[in-house]
Amino acid sequence: MEKLIEVRDLKKYFKTPHGMLHAVDGVSFSIEKGHTLGVVGESGCGKSTLGRLIIRLLDATDGTILFNGEDITRIKQVKKLRRQMQIIFQDPYASLNPRMSVRETIAEPLTIHGVCRSHKEVEDRVAQLMETVGLAERFADSYPHELDGGRRQRIGIARALALEPEFIVCDEPVSALDVSIQAQILNLMQDLQEQKGYTYMFITHDLSVVKHISNDIMVMYLGMVVEKSETDELFENTLHPYTKALLAAIPEPEIRRDRKRTLLTGEITSPVDPAPGCRFAARCPYAKEQCWKETPALEEMLPKHFVACHFAREINGIMKETENEEKPAI
Amino acid sequence: MMKKNEQNEPLLSVRDLTIHYITDDGVVRAVNGISFDLNHGETMGLVGETGAGKTTAALGLMQLVPDPPGKIVSGSVKFAGKELIGLGKLRMRLFRGKEMSMIFQDPMTALNPVITVGEQVAEVIRIHNKVSVKEAVKQAAEMLETVGISSERMGDYPHQFSGGMKQRVVIAIALACNPHLIIADEPTTALDVTIQAQVLELMNRLQEKYNTAMLLITHDLGVVAEICDKVAIMYAGQIVESGSLEDIYEDTRHPYTKGLFGSLPRLSSKLHRLSPIYGLMPDPTDLPKGCSFAPRCPNRCKACEERMPENHEVSPGHFVRCVLYDADRQ
Repeated sequence: MEKLIEVRDLKKYFKTPHGMLHAVDGVSFSIEKGHTLGVVGESGCGKSTLGRLIIRLLDATDGTILFNGEDITRIKQVKKLRRQMQIIFQDPYASLNPRMSVRETIAEPLTIHGVCRSHKEVEDRVAQLMETVGLAERFADSYPHELDGGRRQRIGIARALALEPEFIVCDEPVSALDVSIQAQILNLMQDLQEQKGYTYMFITHDLSVVKHISNDIMVMYLGMVVEKSETDELFENTLHPYTKALLAAIPEPEIRRDRKRTLLTGEITSPVDPAPGCRFAARCPYAKEQCWKETPALEEMLPKHFVACHFAREINGIMKETENEEKPAI
Repeated sequence: MMKKNEQNEPLLSVRDLTIHYITDDGVVRAVNGISFDLNHGETMGLVGETGAGKTTAALGLMQLVPDPPGKIVSGSVKFAGKELIGLGKLRMRLFRGKEMSMIFQDPMTALNPVITVGEQVAEVIRIHNKVSVKEAVKQAAEMLETVGISSERMGDYPHQFSGGMKQRVVIAIALACNPHLIIADEPTTALDVTIQAQVLELMNRLQEKYNTAMLLITHDLGVVAEICDKVAIMYAGQIVESGSLEDIYEDTRHPYTKGLFGSLPRLSSKLHRLSPIYGLMPDPTDLPKGCSFAPRCPNRCKACEERMPENHEVSPGHFVRCVLYDADRQ
């Protein structure tokens, strides 16, 4: 399969009065054409920053981003890039201009990039896009405040699709919506992918949503990737202690007779000038001395299953299988 | 304030509560005749989507509906046998915080930013328990320790705490006077999953310790499965289905409840597509004449559009408001 996006050792640091904030700290991954990568993590793990770095809404501190094999990390002609990569934002209440009607909002990218030759063509394209995302034509002249969250999110999607990009970053596109509407939007996004072959990077805090929509999943904690693998593999063989805790913390809509479970203690630590060592160590039930000293590298512990943890093999009892090939792997 | 013989009757008994907001654009029928009972020590989940009237119902119980434009049109709310509707403002104030208290959704805005958390907890104790300031501070320190905040942090201001810790402070305030009933309005919605799990565990533990009854308002069926004994599903201001946790989760009857479950992406299933509920919640100023769910219901028939469905007891304690369960249809 062809790689559409390839990211190598990407870093983004923000200068704050208290020191350097390591929002994204050495992230590497790739996304194949037509696939969906789910990026999961709690508030402050750097997932949104990562999404914005890739489509160049933010400039990276270090690292490389390859798009279709071309290095786009520092190119100046960002406008050209926007035709190929777009973003759907989290909050459909804040990401639409309140003074632009639905028609104007969807038409804006078309006119900016001059893709339509006549006014009529713009009109036709807008009507077609509205139909694609399931917005009735009568809303064309409505303003965002007249519409509910689900419909607003559909406008956001139509706007992102207007230029027929290859790659779309979806930054928590359904988090602000009610479950019944959330399901409608998720189905719509899946349908569009099947029809047009879009590549998605789906950013969310909700593991059950990404499980549903992604081919691969990457779990982040404080700017770093802790675990990465194919979706089914991740859920069947969860290796990293943080991913395990994240899964255990999700309340399932099913009756569980025993309501006991392992809980993480403590809270996410500060990403400002982080100390060396594993960033999860402070909350990890398995943390030992080594965890506080060395930052664990992302290693391939099972085929195509990468984990950054000194003791993941020990915890999961996969020592024997990988011992022989451990060294040549990375 | 409790009398001995009242232990057998429900702690909270709501009958036909109807709350409307009278606005320039028409009458918003937010809550339309809800009835339920809550016993001592029991937890009931009140589930519904945005605009279902959950929060208005809770405000109605606490006599906090903003008037104008809100108005309790009819119904009764009996707390330990005492009618609360029509009770004077001053007498109601003695109730709130002491007999029943509320945990609000957003811990970021529920606390006063310019008063230390210690003082905020002590305030409730001082007002209701009529103790000296010194004693109130001592009790506040104990309460904060109970919710897992070191009493050394009593002098800190809300902005110095993280979201999860702020919600613990809010819980400490709600429990400070050991109330018989807690109304928790989406207490964990603003929190990350691992922190949500901690807060839910804390609420569960404290509730058992003090034998407090709780009305948990949420849109998250996962959270309900985690901590509730009973469930009521709200749609367009009505309770459409209610019963024990087993009734709702394992013997789902109402088409709306079924739709809610179908919309949820789950960790445990391998479904490729979700089955959403089509359409949107009806406008509360213009509710359909018959069943409010009829326009979105896959099982609708002529009767649904003509009259309001009755409440049927399909099994002991399990009520469904749907014409599917009319006697003449079975």
